[in-house]
Amino acid sequence: MKAAFGILGRLMIRPGSALAVLFLTIIALAAIFADLLPLDPFRQNLLHSLEGPSAQYWFGTDELGRDILSRVVYGARTSLLTAAGAVAVAALFGIPIGLIGGFFGGWRDAALMRFVDVLLALPAILFAMALIAVLGRSQVAAFIAVGITGIPAFARIVRAQTLALRKRDFVTAVESFGGSSGYNMFRTILPNAWSPILVQVVVLCSIAILLEAALAFLGVGVAPPTPSWGEMLRTGKSYLYEAPTYALLPGIVLTLTILSFDTIGRALGSLLEDRHDTGTATAGGVTS
Amino acid sequence: MSEPVLAVRDLTVDFSGPAGPIPVVRGVSFDVHANEVLCIVGESGSGKSVTSLAVAGLLADTAKVGGDIRLGAIDVQRADAETLRRMRGEDVGFIFQDPSTTLNPVLKVGRQITEGEVAHGRLSPSEARARGVTLLREVDIADPEGRIDQYPHQFSGGMRQRAVIAMAMAGKPRLIIADEPTTALDVTVQAQVLAVLARRQRETGCAVVLITHDLGVVAEVADRVAVMYGGRIVETGPVREIFRAPRHPYTRALLRSMPRLDGTDARLDPIPGQPPVAINLPAGCTFHPRCALQNGRERCLRDEPALRALAADHTAACHFAEETPERPPALAAEPRPLPAHAAEAPLLEVEDLRVHFPIKAGLLRRTVGAVHAVDGVSLAVHPGETVSLVGESGCGKTTTGRTVMGLIPATSGAVRFDGQSILGLDRRRMRKARRQMQYIFQDPYSSLNPVRSVEEVIAEPMHIHGVYDEMGGAPWVAELFDQVGLSRTMMGRYPSEFSGGQKQRIGIARALALKPRLLILDEPVAALDVSIQAQILNLLQDLQRELDLAYLFIAHNLSVVRHISDRVAVMYLGRIVEMGDRDALYERPSHPYTQSLLSAAPIPDPAMRDRDSRIVLEGEIPNPAAPPPGCTFHPRCFRASELCRREAPRFERPDGLATHLACHHPGPLFDERAPRAMERAT
Amino acid sequence: MTGYILRRLLQLIPVLILASIGVWAMMYAVPGGPVAAIVGDNATPEQIAAVTRQYGLDRPIAVQYLDWFGSALVGDFGESYYSRAPVLQLIGERLPATLHLAVAATIVALLLGIPVAVASALRPGTLLDRILSGWSALALGVPTFWLGILLILLFAVELRWLPSASGYVPIWEDPLQALRNLALPAITLGVYVSGILARFLRASLVTELRADYVRTARAKGLPERQIVWVHLMRNALLPFITIVGLMMAGFIGGAVVTEAVFTYPGLGRLLIQAISSRDYPLIQGCILVILVLYVAINLTVDVLYAYIDPRIDYR
Repeated sequence: MKAAFGILGRLMIRPGSALAVLFLTIIALAAIFADLLPLDPFRQNLLHSLEGPSAQYWFGTDELGRDILSRVVYGARTSLLTAAGAVAVAALFGIPIGLIGGFFGGWRDAALMRFVDVLLALPAILFAMALIAVLGRSQVAAFIAVGITGIPAFARIVRAQTLALRKRDFVTAVESFGGSSGYNMFRTILPNAWSPILVQVVVLCSIAILLEAALAFLGVGVAPPTPSWGEMLRTGKSYLYEAPTYALLPGIVLTLTILSFDTIGRALGSLLEDRHDTGTATAGGVTS
Repeated sequence: MSEPVLAVRDLTVDFSGPAGPIPVVRGVSFDVHANEVLCIVGESGSGKSVTSLAVAGLLADTAKVGGDIRLGAIDVQRADAETLRRMRGEDVGFIFQDPSTTLNPVLKVGRQITEGEVAHGRLSPSEARARGVTLLREVDIADPEGRIDQYPHQFSGGMRQRAVIAMAMAGKPRLIIADEPTTALDVTVQAQVLAVLARRQRETGCAVVLITHDLGVVAEVADRVAVMYGGRIVETGPVREIFRAPRHPYTRALLRSMPRLDGTDARLDPIPGQPPVAINLPAGCTFHPRCALQNGRERCLRDEPALRALAADHTAACHFAEETPERPPALAAEPRPLPAHAAEAPLLEVEDLRVHFPIKAGLLRRTVGAVHAVDGVSLAVHPGETVSLVGESGCGKTTTGRTVMGLIPATSGAVRFDGQSILGLDRRRMRKARRQMQYIFQDPYSSLNPVRSVEEVIAEPMHIHGVYDEMGGAPWVAELFDQVGLSRTMMGRYPSEFSGGQKQRIGIARALALKPRLLILDEPVAALDVSIQAQILNLLQDLQRELDLAYLFIAHNLSVVRHISDRVAVMYLGRIVEMGDRDALYERPSHPYTQSLLSAAPIPDPAMRDRDSRIVLEGEIPNPAAPPPGCTFHPRCFRASELCRREAPRFERPDGLATHLACHHPGPLFDERAPRAMERAT
Repeated sequence: MTGYILRRLLQLIPVLILASIGVWAMMYAVPGGPVAAIVGDNATPEQIAAVTRQYGLDRPIAVQYLDWFGSALVGDFGESYYSRAPVLQLIGERLPATLHLAVAATIVALLLGIPVAVASALRPGTLLDRILSGWSALALGVPTFWLGILLILLFAVELRWLPSASGYVPIWEDPLQALRNLALPAITLGVYVSGILARFLRASLVTELRADYVRTARAKGLPERQIVWVHLMRNALLPFITIVGLMMAGFIGGAVVTEAVFTYPGLGRLLIQAISSRDYPLIQGCILVILVLYVAINLTVDVLYAYIDPRIDYR
C-alpha cells in the first residue's frame, strides 16, 4: 500500500502524468456518480434533434433530441466497465499462461504459446468482432471479446519476465531448499513481476477503451440505447453535414481518456524501469 | 625526462544525481611516458574507469569534467569535437572490458578493425582488407584471411579481445588505455591476451594505461602503479616499490587481504567495513573508517591528506605514511589442524556422475548430440573438510555442484549423502535430504529475493520445510544474524539496502538456517571486491570450525582455492584431470593442464614476473559438444603424443606422484620446456 | 536456409489447424447451433430438417469438420448466404483494394515515423524529443475513426478538395484519381501506425545508443554520422523490420475501422457486412483468408530477418 502511494506520488511530480491522473479521476467520478447529476441520457426531444450547443444542451443534441453531454457522461460507464472487465479477463488467463509456459518450458510452453499465436494470428478487432457475432451484443460480450484479445500481451510479458527471473539465483535458491514449483511461481516469481504487469494493466485499459469504441463505431458494440462514445461517433458521422459539432465532445473525451491511460502507462514504465516496448507494440494492429 | 605522452592534472568528474552532483573522481593527477605501462588499480567505485574515459573525452554529457588533460599537444578539455575525434584512434586507442559487447554484432570484424583508419583518411577502402589481415596476424589470430569476413559472434572471447587490441593499435597511437582488458577472460586466455598486449606495446613503443582490480595482473605488467580509493589516487610508485614497501595503509591492507597462490595457512587479514560510495564519502581521509593507522587521531577525521612525495617517484596520500611498517609482519601462521573426521565415512560421495544436455537440431528438433557438461566425475567429501573443484569456465564445475544439489537431473552415476543415494528420490524424500545440504550462490545480487525483507529471506527455508517454530523461530533467525556478523537491527531491511559482502553474509545465514552438514559453495567470493573477499573467506573458515561443516567449494580463482581447501580437484571439459591434497597439488602438480593453469595465474609479486616456468597455452577450451578424441586436453597440451590423440587416459595415481590424475605422460615440471607454447609466450 | 523455412512452416501447421477449428466452431457456438445460423431463429421444423439434410449436419461432428476443412484447403468456402456468389470470388474482388490501402498507409507511416524516431532518439530528454514523443502519443491515442471524421470534415466538407467516401481505383488505371481516393484513408491509417513505429524505433535506438559498441566506435574516432547511420541503424533496424511486417500484416483485414469511416471497399468492410448480415460462410472465408495472409507475411518477415541478421544461425 505504501509502495502504491509512493508510485502515485512520483507520477504526480510529472506534469503530464498528473494531468492524466486528474482527468481520469474526473471521468471515473462522473461514471460512478452519473445518477446524482441532473442528466438524462435517454429523454428524447424530437423537436430539438441535431441541435448545436445551447444553454439548455451545452454540447447539442443527437438525432433523437437526447442531450449529448448526458450521453457522454453515461458513456464513460460503458468504456470504464469494458476496460475493467477486459483487464480482469486478460489477466486471469494471460498471467497463468505466461507463468506456466515460462517456468516449465518444454511441451507445456510450446502448447500454450501456440494457443497464444492463434489469438495473435488475427487482428484484435476482427477477433473481437467474430466473438461478438457469436455471443451477441452486450456489455459482457464486449469485455469478454476485448479481454480475450488482451490475453496474448499479458501471457507474453509474464512469460518473458518468468524466463528472466527463472534464471535468477533467488529462484534457484528456493528450489535448492525444496520449495515447490507452485510456490516458486506464485510466491517468488509473481511478486517480482508485478511492475511490468501493472504497466500492462494500464496499457491494456487504453487499448480496451479504444477497442470498445471501435466496435461500437462499427455497430457491434454494446446494444443501444446504452450510451457509448464509439456509437455516438458512428451516428455523428452520418450527420456530418447537418451537425458537424455532434462528434466533437465524444471524440475529444474518448481521445483524452486513451491518451491519459497511455501517458500513465508510459510514465509507469519508465518509473519502474521496464521496457514494455512489447506491450505498446501489441497495441499495434488493434484498431486501424 | 622526456615529455609525458599523457599528463593529467587535478581531474575531477561529477555525475549529476537527484540530490546534487556526485563526486566520482576528485582531483587525480598522473603522467604516462612512452614505453611505459601505468596500472591504475582500485576496487569497484574507486573512480578508475571513469578516469580513463574522461581522459579521452568519452564520458556522457551529463558528467562534469574539471581539471587539465593534455595528450601530447592536445588540450582535451578545451579541444573542439573534431580535434577530439581525430585524437581518438590517432593518438589514443581503447581496449574495453567485455569483448562480447565492445564489437558491433552485425558488422564484420575486418571492417570494424580498419574503419577507424579509413575514417581518418589514412587508409583507402580498397586497401582495408589487406590491412585487416595484417592487423589480425599481428595479434596471433590464426587464419586471418578467413577470419576477417566473420562476425564477432563467430570469434571466441579471447580472439575477440585480440581483435579489439588489433583495432586499438591499428592507428599506432601513442597511448593505449585498457580498461579491465582481461577481467572477462579465463586465466589461460588472460595470459595469452596479456602476452599479445605486451608484445605489441614493445613493438610500437606506445604508453599504456591499464585499469584493473587484479593485483596479480598489476604485478605482471606494470612499470608504475597508481592506487585509487574513493575517487582519488592514494599512492603512486614503481611497481616493485608498491609491492615491496607500500606506504599507504590502504595499499598495504589490500596486499595483505589477498590469498596467495604460494600462500601460507595464515589467516587472511581483511580490511574491515565497506568501500566508500561516492554519494556519501566519509569526511577527512576517505579511508579513515577502515584504516589500521588512524587510531582515533583527529587529523584523519578532519583533513583529507594530499598526495606527497615520500621518495623519488613514490607518493602517498596519508598523514602518517611514515608509520606504515616497511615489511608487513606475517601473521603467526597457525598450523591448520587436519579435519578430525577425515578417516570417517564420507558425507558426500559422487560416483561417475554424468550430465549430458541434448542438442536438438533439424526439422523435427531431434536430438543430434549432447553437450557433455559433466562426463564421469567421482569425488568424496568427508565431514568437516573442504574439497574444491577448480577449473576454467565451461569445465563443468558448477554443473557438478548443481547436480549434486538436485537442481539439474543427472544423466547417470550416483550421488550418496550420508550413505544414502539421493538421485531419483521422490519430491518428499528429496526435500528431506536437502535439509542436510545447502547451496551458496556466486552472485549475491541475484540470489536474494528483492521483494522480501532479509529476515523473511533467512526464514524462508524453514517455512518451506514447515519447521520454522521447531527450529526456534525469530530468535534463531536473530542468532543467525549474529553468526554471520550482521547487526540484528538490519533484520527488517530489504536486500537492495545491503552491499555485496553483506548480501553474501545473508546468503550464508540462509544456508545455515536448517543446520545443514554440507555447504556447496559456487564461487562465493568471485563477485566481491578483494578487500571483502577476505572477510567472507574468514567467515567461512570460522563457521566450518564452529559448526563442523563440510564444504564443496567451486571456484576458478586458484589462490582462493589454495587458501581454503583441504583437497583440490582440477576439472577440464567435464572431467577431473587431477586431484589430491592441496599442498601436493599446488607444489607438485603432475598434470600438464594443472601445471599450465598454475603458471598462467598472475602472482601479485613483481619479483616473480620473469619466472621461467611460464607456460602459455595455445588455443581455447574446445566446445564440450564436440570434445577432442582421446585425451580431451591433447590439442593444447605441450606433452601430447600419438597415444594422447588416440586413447583417453585412466584416472589413477602413478607410482611416485602425489596426486591422482588422468594423463599418459604425467610428471613434475622440471626444466622441461614446452617448445610450442614458449614460442607464443615470448 | 531451406531447412529453417521448412521448420517455420511446420510450426505453422498446428496454429492453422487450431485456428480453423475455432473458425469452424463459430457456427456451432451460435445460439441454436449451425441450423439457426443458416435459416435464422424463426424457422419451421420442416426447414430445419431440410437444412440439416442439405448441409449434412446429421453426420458425426468430426466428419463435418474434416469435410469443411478439406474444402477450405482448396479454397472452397461455400457460397455467401446473402449474395449466393462463391465466397472466394467475393474476397478476390476486395483484395486489390485492401492491398492498395496497405501499401499506401505503410509508406505514410514510414515517412512520418522514421524521421520522428531518429530526431528524438539522438537527443533524448531535450525539448525536441519531448515534442516528438508527444506527437507519437497523440498519433497513437487519437482513434482512427475520429481522426478520419475530422479529416473528412476539413478536406471534404469544408475545403471540398477530396471525396468524403473513397472508392477503389487501381493505381495503374488512373493514378491521380487513385491517389485522391487513397489520400485520406492512407493518412488516417498511416498517422496511427507512425506513432507505433516511432515509439518502437526510438526505444530501440535509445537502447542501442547505450551499447558498448557505440562507445568503441567513438573511441576509434569515427564521425558521429557514421556511428549513427552505420553502427546504430544496422542494429536498430533489425527488430524494426519485424514491427513493420506486423503492421503491414495487420492492414490486411485489420483496417476495418478506416475502411468503414471512408466506406472503402476493402476486405475489412466485406467482413463487417458479413457479420451484420450473419453470412457465416463469408465470415469464415474472410477470417481464414486474412489469417493465412497475416501468417504468411509474418513468416516472410521472420525469414527475411534471419537472412539479414548474421547472428541467427538458420540451419
